[in-house]
Amino acid sequence: MTGDEAQRRFVALLQERFGVDEIPAANYPLVDARHHFELARVLKEEFGYRIYAFVVASHYPAAPDAKNENAEVDAEHYEVATGVRCIGAPAHLASWRVRVELDQALPTLFPLFAGADWQEREQYDLVGVRFDGHPDLRRLMMPEDWEGYPLRKDYAIGTACPPWR
Amino acid sequence: MPRRVTEVDPHLDIETYDPSADLMVLNLGPQHPSTHGVFRVKLYLDGEIIVKAVPYAGYLHRGVEKLCEELTFVQIIPVVDKNDYVSPMMNEQAIVMACEAMLEIEVPRRALYLRTIFAELQRVASHLLWLGTFGMDLGGALGGGASLFMYCFRERETILGLFEEVTGCRFHYNTHAVGGNRHDITPKFCRDTKTTIEVIAKRIEEYIQIFSSNRIYRDRTQGVGVLDGDLAVSLGITGPLARASGVDHDLRRDAPYHIYGELDVNVFTESAGDCLARTLVRLQEMCESIRIVREIIDSVPEGPILGIKPGKSPTHIKIESSQRYTCIESPRGELGTYLIGGGSNRGASAYRLKIRSPSLHAVSCIPYVFPGHTVSDAIAILGTLDPIMGEVDR
Repeated sequence: MTGDEAQRRFVALLQERFGVDEIPAANYPLVDARHHFELARVLKEEFGYRIYAFVVASHYPAAPDAKNENAEVDAEHYEVATGVRCIGAPAHLASWRVRVELDQALPTLFPLFAGADWQEREQYDLVGVRFDGHPDLRRLMMPEDWEGYPLRKDYAIGTACPPWR
Repeated sequence: MPRRVTEVDPHLDIETYDPSADLMVLNLGPQHPSTHGVFRVKLYLDGEIIVKAVPYAGYLHRGVEKLCEELTFVQIIPVVDKNDYVSPMMNEQAIVMACEAMLEIEVPRRALYLRTIFAELQRVASHLLWLGTFGMDLGGALGGGASLFMYCFRERETILGLFEEVTGCRFHYNTHAVGGNRHDITPKFCRDTKTTIEVIAKRIEEYIQIFSSNRIYRDRTQGVGVLDGDLAVSLGITGPLARASGVDHDLRRDAPYHIYGELDVNVFTESAGDCLARTLVRLQEMCESIRIVREIIDSVPEGPILGIKPGKSPTHIKIESSQRYTCIESPRGELGTYLIGGGSNRGASAYRLKIRSPSLHAVSCIPYVFPGHTVSDAIAILGTLDPIMGEVDR
């Protein structure tokens, strides 16, 4: 199987079983947060995507439309991208994004991928997105008593930090 | 006898462990020499045997990802050099590849050859540094330890000399640019490289002999720190660590980038998954890297080394708000860059840039692998994981 065939198979899976209509060209497909765990499970158990590649959370502040004040404001939210990979050629990477509201938590992938333990902890630590059912959701990089999440857009790079204990 | 790692609970509640046992807590690190940087592992010992290991990362966290959101794509290349400070060429390559993939820049073939030669030489240098420091970790097993360290540095020095000849820097090169390379090679570099790699190839033969025949070395490493292949991929461990556990996976062969698709890359695997297997896989990889350099050093095509019009302004590279993940095979495994464009400086910076570091995945296997071993074995295991703390913490 070539990489293109694997990509077509992945797109077909998203469209048929996970209700994804639009596959953007320059971006990864956006999947409903309810399907997040199920999609990872299907990819791992039915299609053999066994390597846990990455999880990336990013923070998007509320974006008011500058031209139209009455337009609906896109609320502050997170976006979490996950990638899993299959072993050996063509080493296809299946990656998808999930929109997570500020007060919402995303189900953890730890029961499927042991690597989610540390990766999700890192994203929680730096961006602030919470993972539901995670066995040990502590800060990974920053000190335990750190306030704020450094990779959020409202956290300025010059924010004063407390002295190291 | 160590337990199988699949039976180990990484989040073992130490309160529920045998209450009659007299447990001792030992703090390994953060400044223990064998942690190769600053890394702390809290060990719960029952007698001499580790029953639980809790790693603490973050002592070297410098906020590189936040910095990459402020600086422009031109400015971040020398910054990411310092992530994996044992193989800076790889970090640069991962970042510029991400930008090139987003902008769909075609890199000239000469630059691709240069990148491949640099990457493979860097892989040899990186593995040599690992081998030397691992000899120090094991101490007496290799005739005092420091002698192997000095031998490996002798060889690594010659490779750094080659890089210095091209880039003017021995360590943080800043030689990759979006669209190509900054520094071109000369015929003298090709001649020097050929003599250097022949010397190193001979020396590596000697190392392979030392490691496969030294009785003390085998006793210290055989059957120690067995990592299950399924657990390894589930943790996201790639590269020589996974290949030593029987996972036949190498991005240079399976998802080729640059000119690797035209080369036959041989991938070595071992099935044992212990410290000895990890040593042997890395030694064979060095031979393979030398073979690749030997194969392509004479066939570097003529032509330009930069595919785009060079710009003077640090903001001359701008990326739209799309997202892309690109990755390369670094000496430690899959080194990836997840890049979201359209950030500050009118798109000349990233909105979010995540560096997927193979070392962070590697150290996350410690809670599974350490239990059941003695403290001296833990040092050997930590050595073969080859974590670079600058990359773990970023």
